Amino acid sequence: MKASIGFTLSHLQSMLLFALLISIAFGFLSRRRPIDRVKYIVWSLFLFLLIGVGIGWAMYPFSR
Amino acid sequence: MADETVGSAAPPQDSRREAMAFVIGVAGWLVPGLGHALMKMWGRAAACFLTVGMLVILGAGMRGNVFSSRGNDAFDGLGYLADLGTGTLYLVAKSLETNGADVSHAGGDYGTRFLATAGVLNLLAALHAYEAARGRKA
Repeated sequence: MKASIGFTLSHLQSMLLFALLISIAFGFLSRRRPIDRVKYIVWSLFLFLLIGVGIGWAMYPFSR
Repeated sequence: MADETVGSAAPPQDSRREAMAFVIGVAGWLVPGLGHALMKMWGRAAACFLTVGMLVILGAGMRGNVFSSRGNDAFDGLGYLADLGTGTLYLVAKSLETNGADVSHAGGDYGTRFLATAGVLNLLAALHAYEAARGRKA
């Protein structure tokens, strides 16, 4: 069976989706209670984005 | 000496549990979330299936590189191992990638990372299911 799909995502959209999916998986695997999972997912997502944007800005002076 | 022989023999229940844990781990690798589903951990099963599945579909849709066994160098080999971590979804990624990989754009490069991450994440989930089946964590 052959099927073709295509997505064109921006850098920010890619990072957001990646961070969200990984955070959800980590949250469900590492915590048992729903409230703990939600807290873990939100905190992990925040750190993913903070560190991602931080590294992006740290590389900015060397981009040209 | 005789005491050591007797002491090292695993009780039948333990060996059966170990075998069951191995089956659950392999099932979790072949189909993301199946290992947890076999232990009736429905939330974790759904989360594993959906996140790994989404990463594979996005990665293939962004024209990421789905590595094959005929790699040119060590990095291709490592990429192949990571992609194989998705189990049967590797075949799905292959079937979706009809136009071939395009890593000349950032999207294709991100897609390659999405696919590799899906594989490694699924291996982590399968290992978690295996350990949970052995009763070491849940």
